[in-house]
Amino acid sequence: MTRWMLPAFLAVGVIVTLVLIVGPAVYAVSLSFFDLPSLTSDPVWVGLAKYQAVLASAEFWNALWNGIVYAGLAIVLQVVLGISFALVLHQPFRGRALVRGMAFLPYLLPTVIAVLTFKWMVDGSLGIVTILMDDWGLPPIYWFETEQAAMISVILISVWLWTPFVTTTFLAGLQTVPTQLYEAARVDGAGPVRRFFHVTLPVLRPILTVIVLLRGVWMFNKFDVIWLTTGGGPLGATEHLPILSYRTAFALYDIGTGAAVATISFLFLSLAVFLYFRAFPMEDDA
Amino acid sequence: MTTASRRPLARIGLYLAAIAIALYSAFPIYWMVSSSLRPTQEMLLNPTLVPTELTLQYYYSLLAQTDYPRQFLNSLIVALSTVVLTMFLSVMIAYGVTRQRIRGKKAIIAGMLYAYMFPPLLLAIPLYAMFTKVGLNDTLFSLVISHLTMTMPLGVWFLWGFFKAMPFELEEAAMVDGCTRLGAFLRVVLPLSVPGLVTVAIFAFLLSWTDYTFALVMIGSDVNKTVPLGLASMIGAFDLRWGDIMAGSTLIAMPLFIAFILLSRYFVQGLTAGAVKG
Repeated sequence: MTRWMLPAFLAVGVIVTLVLIVGPAVYAVSLSFFDLPSLTSDPVWVGLAKYQAVLASAEFWNALWNGIVYAGLAIVLQVVLGISFALVLHQPFRGRALVRGMAFLPYLLPTVIAVLTFKWMVDGSLGIVTILMDDWGLPPIYWFETEQAAMISVILISVWLWTPFVTTTFLAGLQTVPTQLYEAARVDGAGPVRRFFHVTLPVLRPILTVIVLLRGVWMFNKFDVIWLTTGGGPLGATEHLPILSYRTAFALYDIGTGAAVATISFLFLSLAVFLYFRAFPMEDDA
Repeated sequence: MTTASRRPLARIGLYLAAIAIALYSAFPIYWMVSSSLRPTQEMLLNPTLVPTELTLQYYYSLLAQTDYPRQFLNSLIVALSTVVLTMFLSVMIAYGVTRQRIRGKKAIIAGMLYAYMFPPLLLAIPLYAMFTKVGLNDTLFSLVISHLTMTMPLGVWFLWGFFKAMPFELEEAAMVDGCTRLGAFLRVVLPLSVPGLVTVAIFAFLLSWTDYTFALVMIGSDVNKTVPLGLASMIGAFDLRWGDIMAGSTLIAMPLFIAFILLSRYFVQGLTAGAVKG
């Protein structure tokens, strides 16, 4: 028993990895080479035909571009807001623990709730935002009906949900910056802005690199916010690759094409991450 | 820091910024909770910031007239099963990887890390196809397995870091004193890993409890829906019952808020370890 415990644990690891990760991924890629109108019908080998069709479609390039815009803007806003919040919450003030706690809350909400609450707040007749804007004499915004407004809405919801991730990780980083560095910078006559750019940022660069990488990957793959808010509309204005993949596989019953879109999306992401590591190399502590 | 506390103007600015952060983060949540307690006539007329009258009517109608209690139970079953399986499996795997000397064991960690990058549908499509073939589609079991694809990488990665930092001498000392390896693991390593295990449990619960994407793909019938899926279908209904929807939202947010108030340290720790997808 004793001698076999560790090998048995490792065997569990191999099985779990194969069943949960490698198996499904390989199966997904293999599905993309078949025509499969339903899961009970016999698959027909079509080679790379699905990939050719996907890459030739305007829908795909629209979805890729929308995904880049959505993920890109959402990350920039999350990072800027998150760092600003962390800098404020790093200062000592009365009630700081409470505000820190409140700043974490959005992260705990299921996406569905964030989307529903947003929709309720901007509801055309009863929403608090609509009522307040009307009181202040501002023109109404059609949050989901025009192309730009729909994109702004999904970005706003995403930024609100995941800013706490950046705030919390950056705040934890700030607490590790040695105070002597700030003292030295102050003696040298550096103001708060210069201390941030010449002390804080360089010290926290590795943390920031990881934050941007993780958030970038997850925003690019995020399905539920857009699906629940706009469903990809209006007229495909917010349709990105995860939605295109879902729609082709489960609404158009073309599982092969849906799998092909997911595979291409993953290859694209792998390339982006590879280039990111080339641009911002990280030290390996494994 | 000191400059801000000495100059009154900077002090005021700091408090204004803190208030802005609090409002930005918590106002939508406050609005959700207060809307769930506000009588309908007040919601339809000009609503005040603080409800003048409180009511539980939406909670009654939600619990008595909809599938919500059933969905809540489903969510609970799925999340708790996911937590138990994740902890059980990831402890074994992480411990095996850190303590056994064998070539290629890092491939497990690498595979887990790589899974972090998978688009959700790269996993959801094949899992759905596999479960359909074996007749297990539209079951809570299929949802638990698909949630494991999110929670296992988190658990293994986090505990791997945890066990790596734990000195081998502790177990060796126990084994010199006559403990078997299993005994040393159960009596020395596990008790010392409680903080790490709590963090893994919390985030496995969070990921499973809040999931919408996998539930959407895996679950078709009303009886097997989890709360996120059930709430999302309420918005599709043509008579929008905002009070009911906000009551349902408040109820599903509460377990996480309460857990956060009691265990906020672990939430922060897990997040800063960069181990949490979402």
